[in-house]
Amino acid sequence: MSRDALQESLSAVMDNEADELELRRVLNAFDDAETRDTWSRYQVARAVMHKDLLIPRLDIAAAVSAALADEAVPAKARGPWRSLGRLAVAASVTVAVLAGVRLYNQDEIAGAELAQQTQQPIMAGPQVKGPAVLAGYKESSDTTGPMANGVLQGQSGWQDQRLPGYLRQHAQESALKGTESALPYARAASLENR
Amino acid sequence: MRAIPLLTLLLSGWFALPAHADEAQDWLTRLGRAEQQQSFQGTFVYERNGNFSTHDIWHRVQDGQVRERLLQLDGSAQEVVRVDGRTQCVSGTLVAGLGNSRDAPSRALDPQKLTQFYELAVIGKSRVAGRNAVIVSITPRDQYRYGFELHLDRDTALPLKSLLLNDQGQLLERFQFTRLNTSVTPDDRDLQPTGDCTPIAVATDKAPEVQPTEEWHLEWLPPGFQLTNSSARKDTQTKATVDSRMYEDGLARFSVFLESISGAGVTETRTQLGPTVAVSRRLTTPKGDEMVTVVGEIPIGTAERVALSMRTADTPVKK
Repeated sequence: MSRDALQESLSAVMDNEADELELRRVLNAFDDAETRDTWSRYQVARAVMHKDLLIPRLDIAAAVSAALADEAVPAKARGPWRSLGRLAVAASVTVAVLAGVRLYNQDEIAGAELAQQTQQPIMAGPQVKGPAVLAGYKESSDTTGPMANGVLQGQSGWQDQRLPGYLRQHAQESALKGTESALPYARAASLENR
Repeated sequence: MRAIPLLTLLLSGWFALPAHADEAQDWLTRLGRAEQQQSFQGTFVYERNGNFSTHDIWHRVQDGQVRERLLQLDGSAQEVVRVDGRTQCVSGTLVAGLGNSRDAPSRALDPQKLTQFYELAVIGKSRVAGRNAVIVSITPRDQYRYGFELHLDRDTALPLKSLLLNDQGQLLERFQFTRLNTSVTPDDRDLQPTGDCTPIAVATDKAPEVQPTEEWHLEWLPPGFQLTNSSARKDTQTKATVDSRMYEDGLARFSVFLESISGAGVTETRTQLGPTVAVSRRLTTPKGDEMVTVVGEIPIGTAERVALSMRTADTPVKK
């Protein structure tokens, strides 16, 4: 089965427009990590349309399968019954998806990120003698705040090598083109300060 | 407490009369001209993601030529010197074998065009770096881009402060002058690069232009974004050819990179660094796997959608 066909089915499932065949196809493919990832990408792409960015962590295949098992499958339903059956499948899948997808909004992500940052050794006070930081000033809690809405997933290998280069190239090409202000330059410089 | 200024911003956006919109356009037009006409020197701060840096800037307009030098004051002394928008030299860490040759002139700020995709409004007054400022809000009309809040100098229309905001009104980055002098023209010594500033021509020689490896296109672009730059270079380390294209809507920018990859261990990723998002996605073609990476100052959902819409010549076209 082609990847594109699968993606179309996935898209149809998301929009509650899948027929049963497509649903089965998607469910069978859910063992595949790539498909799971595509699904989560569609979720993000769709969430932005609805203006509520949610990062789905996919753990739904089992839930959906269970929902389908309980479903009285309308095997050879004709006429109005067929669409009714399809409707029922769609409805129970929706419930399963809602139940299975754990939703994180950006604030929670920021919170988690902050928690990680506070644990960085640099922030640990006593042994740091160098920089004079006023007592009670905690860099991580206030200054980052909503600015630190970083979402980092799967950092390893390739990203470590390539992503910084891409970020740099983008920032610098912006800065080199930039006539509008010093802003693109400042962004580029800021990347070097990590 | 953040909700209150945001509410004010939104309300004033809604109730803004057409006259206010025109006023905002006038201010942005003045802003576009200011950097071509006004000499200044000053110090500004840039903050994103908990990262905070300070910079000096010298900007001289003389005999129709714009000369500018920027120098980071804390950490490494990063430096850029530009003449008429063309970069003359950059300091060591900033250099990255990128070509400056296909230097398509950047489009000037066009408020008329911006109004298609952003709502412009003058929403109040403020004071920045000891100077009186007028606040112009640039609010996106759709969810594909971020909004700006600009504080422009009342006398010269130079940007004294620029905030980038997401759709929830959260601050993603801050650019702000702490000192600005428009009465003294920087002299030659101020604009003279230090020895650490590497002339850009050298960097161009190091990374010769190569032909793009293959045809590709994006099936979806956020409305208003246009191709402004495209290049291909060979990575000095991996020897892989990296195609890149840059798209702009007159205010926001993003780049799309395409690189063929070999072997496993390459995972897809999403990262956000303050204003800049990076989304990469593996694309399987009959010729082998490719990695699509979208980097830019756009919401993560927009970047995801762009990455999903990548089609190479080898990818079967849908339907």
